[in-house]
Amino acid sequence: MARASNSSTSHGGAVLGKGAHIRGRIAGDGDLRVEGSISGDVTLKGQLVVDGGAEIVADVQASSVIVEGAIEGDISATEAVTIRASARVSGAIRGSSISIEEGASVSGRIEADFELPPELGGKGGRS
Amino acid sequence: MANTVIAHGITIEGELTSDDDVVIQGTLRGKLTSKDAVNVESGAVVEADISASSLSVGGQVTGNVTASDRVDLMPGGRLIGDVKASRLTIADGASFKGNVDMDV
Repeated sequence: MARASNSSTSHGGAVLGKGAHIRGRIAGDGDLRVEGSISGDVTLKGQLVVDGGAEIVADVQASSVIVEGAIEGDISATEAVTIRASARVSGAIRGSSISIEEGASVSGRIEADFELPPELGGKGGRS
Repeated sequence: MANTVIAHGITIEGELTSDDDVVIQGTLRGKLTSKDAVNVESGAVVEADISASSLSVGGQVTGNVTASDRVDLMPGGRLIGDVKASRLTIADGASFKGNVDMDV
């Protein structure tokens, strides 16, 4: 079967385009890319990408989260959370790994579960 | 390429507004407003009032529909609700229950 290589629908992901706004709850199994704005909770089993220029005022939950825009609310991921340089986040960030690029503005708690290396005396700890 | 795509497996409960075209493959409950075209694809379920410039229904829509341009019911499409549009086509194999107001 032929697949379009440049189409956003080809990989089955959902896109909320620029100029689009959702007020309410979003839930789903797949990935979501947000270029517009959302006020309402987002719960995904896939990856959430918040584009530069996008704005979310709500708690978000996904397998992994990449933020280039603004989120006002808690971020919770089972896998990685990546805060890019252009991002503005206010709220708690929870994930198995969290990276914040230089230039990003983050205010809130950061919670990451990880194993402390043995030289620091850890048998696995929390931070 | 559509500007906004609500893919299969995604459910929205609430209000979706867009300046550009919207493609629904998943589920939307609430309200849908677009300044451009709305395309409810086969397999999609929309329980919402829809207002758009044009609307094409290949999936299931329950709600009142207003289009400034046209409404197209595609084969296999199902629309339960009133339609207000100056142009309406109902394809062979589509189902429709509701009133039509063509603004005459």
